[in-house]
Amino acid sequence: MHRRILTALLTLTVSACATTKPAETPPETPASQQPQTPAPDPEAFRDTQPKPGTPPEIVLPTFEKAQLDNGLTVIVSTRKELPLVFAGIAFASGVSQEPLAKLGVADLSYRMLLEGAGKRDTVALDNAFADLGVSPAMSVEPDGAFVGARVLTRNVDAVMALLSDVVLRPTFDAKAFDRRKKQQLGELVRRMGDPNFLAQQAYYAAVFGADHPYGHPSGGTPKTVQSLTLADAKNFYVKNTGPRAAALIMTGDVTLPQAVEWAKKYFGGWKGGAVAPKPPPAPPAPPREQVRVVPKPGLEQTVVLVGRPGLAAGHADEYPLELATTVFGGFFGSRLNMNIREDKGYSYGANASLGTRLGVGPLTAYAAVRQNVTGPALEEFMKELAGIKTNPITEKELAAAREGLIRAFPGAFETVEGLGGSASQLFFHRRPMDEYKKSVEGLRDASAAEVQRVAEAYLDPAAMQVVLVGDPLVIQEQVTPLKLGKLTLVETPASDAAPAPKAATP
Amino acid sequence: MSRLKALAAAALLLGSPALAQQPEAKPLEPGRENLAIPYEKYTLPNGLEVILSVDRKLPVVAVNVWYHVGAYDEQPGRTGFAHLFEHMMFQGSKHVADDVHIALMEQSGASDLNGTTSFDRTNYYETVPSNLLETALWLESDRMGFLLDALTEKKLETQREVVKNERRQGVETAPYGEAQEKAWQALFPAPHPYSGNVIGSMKDLDAANVDDVKAFFRTWYAPANATIAIVGDFDVAKTKALVEKYFATLPSGPKPKRPDVKPVKVTRETVIRHDEKVATLPLLSMAWLTAPYLKPGDATADVLATALGTGRASRLYRRLVLDKQLAQSVDATQQSQGAQSVFTIEAVARPGVTTDALQKEIDAVLDEVRKEGVTQEEIVRARTRYDTRQLAGLQAVGGSGSKSDTLQSYNQFVGEPSYVAQDLARYQEVTPALVKQFATDVLRPDARVVLHAVPSSKGAPPSSGSGKEAR
Repeated sequence: MHRRILTALLTLTVSACATTKPAETPPETPASQQPQTPAPDPEAFRDTQPKPGTPPEIVLPTFEKAQLDNGLTVIVSTRKELPLVFAGIAFASGVSQEPLAKLGVADLSYRMLLEGAGKRDTVALDNAFADLGVSPAMSVEPDGAFVGARVLTRNVDAVMALLSDVVLRPTFDAKAFDRRKKQQLGELVRRMGDPNFLAQQAYYAAVFGADHPYGHPSGGTPKTVQSLTLADAKNFYVKNTGPRAAALIMTGDVTLPQAVEWAKKYFGGWKGGAVAPKPPPAPPAPPREQVRVVPKPGLEQTVVLVGRPGLAAGHADEYPLELATTVFGGFFGSRLNMNIREDKGYSYGANASLGTRLGVGPLTAYAAVRQNVTGPALEEFMKELAGIKTNPITEKELAAAREGLIRAFPGAFETVEGLGGSASQLFFHRRPMDEYKKSVEGLRDASAAEVQRVAEAYLDPAAMQVVLVGDPLVIQEQVTPLKLGKLTLVETPASDAAPAPKAATP
Repeated sequence: MSRLKALAAAALLLGSPALAQQPEAKPLEPGRENLAIPYEKYTLPNGLEVILSVDRKLPVVAVNVWYHVGAYDEQPGRTGFAHLFEHMMFQGSKHVADDVHIALMEQSGASDLNGTTSFDRTNYYETVPSNLLETALWLESDRMGFLLDALTEKKLETQREVVKNERRQGVETAPYGEAQEKAWQALFPAPHPYSGNVIGSMKDLDAANVDDVKAFFRTWYAPANATIAIVGDFDVAKTKALVEKYFATLPSGPKPKRPDVKPVKVTRETVIRHDEKVATLPLLSMAWLTAPYLKPGDATADVLATALGTGRASRLYRRLVLDKQLAQSVDATQQSQGAQSVFTIEAVARPGVTTDALQKEIDAVLDEVRKEGVTQEEIVRARTRYDTRQLAGLQAVGGSGSKSDTLQSYNQFVGEPSYVAQDLARYQEVTPALVKQFATDVLRPDARVVLHAVPSSKGAPPSSGSGKEAR
């Protein structure tokens, strides 16, 4: 669809070129008043897009790995230009390891690490990091957790000492836990006010099933968090973490031998038997039977999430599917965005992405659309999905995605914190240190036939779950005629008594 | 951390000024030499400024063009126009087919590809593999010189819709979006050019027409009102020749004069009570007008904002979150801007806590600072934080807050791209007494706008219509 439009507009521009001449003096006169002249246009060279020079080598970061006697993994990526180091500990257990009755325990447990460690309480610990010019970063994800900081090289030893306290000697103070838990309960209320969060929560339950380890966002529900005790938080940490289920990540102005020395000095005495958990099971991807609606009366936009289970990191289809997803919705210039945003003006932007995880991750398309075009926009989502089969990915589209993804690799690794994030992901997903080299090869070698095959297999509209957040009456009116399945209101765990996020299927 | 993230997100959507995101600081010995950015600056005969800075860390080059125009320069009745115009710059120009710009850059492996608009400036940037520098210059020069040749009514119509959706996403359907807009309108009453929001009002967006686009382009997008920065792995001589080839023949008028707007003053406390429709928890915000970016008082405000709101040991966090347990989160920022800056304190209440209770505690913290200032230790910590942040900002060559943006920002505001050392030196001068004076003289109760954004009782939290169907 957008291809044809593009061609039409291209013709327009070209014809404009033929009849106008650039203004030579300010202020420019309107193009329509310019006389047509046969004189050679000194600006004609601009008609031709410059020919790119020889492409530079695809410079990829180097990740090196070592292991201490106690089992601790050390991952380093050296980048010497600036005296900056990003250092932290990646833990192999994340939200997916929470027991269903204790949702939220991973988040609460890891966040307790920064609520006092060694001889320092919350405030003293924060001040110790502040003395090094930083607030520590903490993230708790489906497949793991990370705590660390970016510091000047001269502060590395000091930050390692602090991280060692945080990881090996967290206080788990009862009063701090009580406060943190109340804060967490408050967060659960706060995020109910965020339409994107409501969409995400319903989406995970729809794609994975509410009981699946990936079926819920981090943080838990009011009911489960209310029931958590200090012992729960402590036990989660003790049971799930240890040197054999963690990695010291250091990137920037540091070498592997230096990192190993620091690892021995500060984490050599770390003991514990926890090992990295098994990947969560692959969820089924059944045909869609319903359209899930999270009501937010009066909301001026409808948040649209469309998706299904994708694949696990390292799956043979990973690179072909990455390419197919990019053509469909990964780039600004992809089919989905060019249609929904640039052609129709329905949204500020529509995109699709393949969420790679240790287990099977989500394959997701997203847009927030104007309330009164919810139906037409959703219809375009479905048309574009179906169009992958009826209007197969062209050679040109594939080449653009392939080149674009591959050529973007060097620029994607400019910062030490970015390298640190990538190193953590390699650890969480148990990928080899030359993963990025493999990615480049995988993207380069995927054949057109393979890409088309996985595109049709994974982007089939029939298996796409649909979640909408917005005004329920508008959605009902606009979406019912599309016959995409029974409209079902999704219950949100907003009240104390509410159960885990679950589609309320009548 | 969440504050940094929020700011980064704002930059993505609208481009809050890069300068406001990083109150920079003074490096101590080991990092200092790394903060000097070697660069060359010259001006083409048509007035276009060129900044070149070689950085061979990776085989990529950032092209970052700043037009010295922002929402500040809009005509009355055309709020949001500078940003709407920014969208039009991606819609093709005489020699570049429509919708090709981003697609071509993406398939070339460009990263940090975007345009952002703030009150003070508009920037356009892309980081490309080094062999595509010429392609990027071709694209940037064509929209600088030949945008109007490809302008159509339909393109404006579509982008108007896109921008209105952007507004819905960032204001109408975002927690506290409309409330915060009201607070800015109170700080800068219309027709002050900072009034409201960079993205503008729906009414004004609807009113914008093709003639506005033409007039805005001719006035503000003259080469004499722009600066191009090229930072990364490139050959200086060849690049100069390319810049000459693509930009030297672009016609330009004189550098336009920006509006002369008298500073506004808040002379009595303004209290806004907003019926919050999106968020579920009450928000209290207090805001004051403060010294412009890099002007005396701006650095003091940065330091106080850090001492009050950055980290768990910060004064507001300690009192409101840790000790009294009344707030979910607190935040304090000095948003540095060219004409006047804004110092804001925000706190989100715990469920069941009123905004009045939050205000009482914030006032207590402010009274403390008015009496005692802050400690030298807090000032030193803030400085160390800025050191690290400033150095980290030099890692990426392109994008918001990057090395090229740093050069551009100093160039626009002080005319000197490499101003890091002077910028950081400002923080050496901040003393506990100065902070005390700032809190007393500037953060006065009768000079502030206080916003209570309280969720309407029936709107939130969303109903849990168990088992009901909407069909």
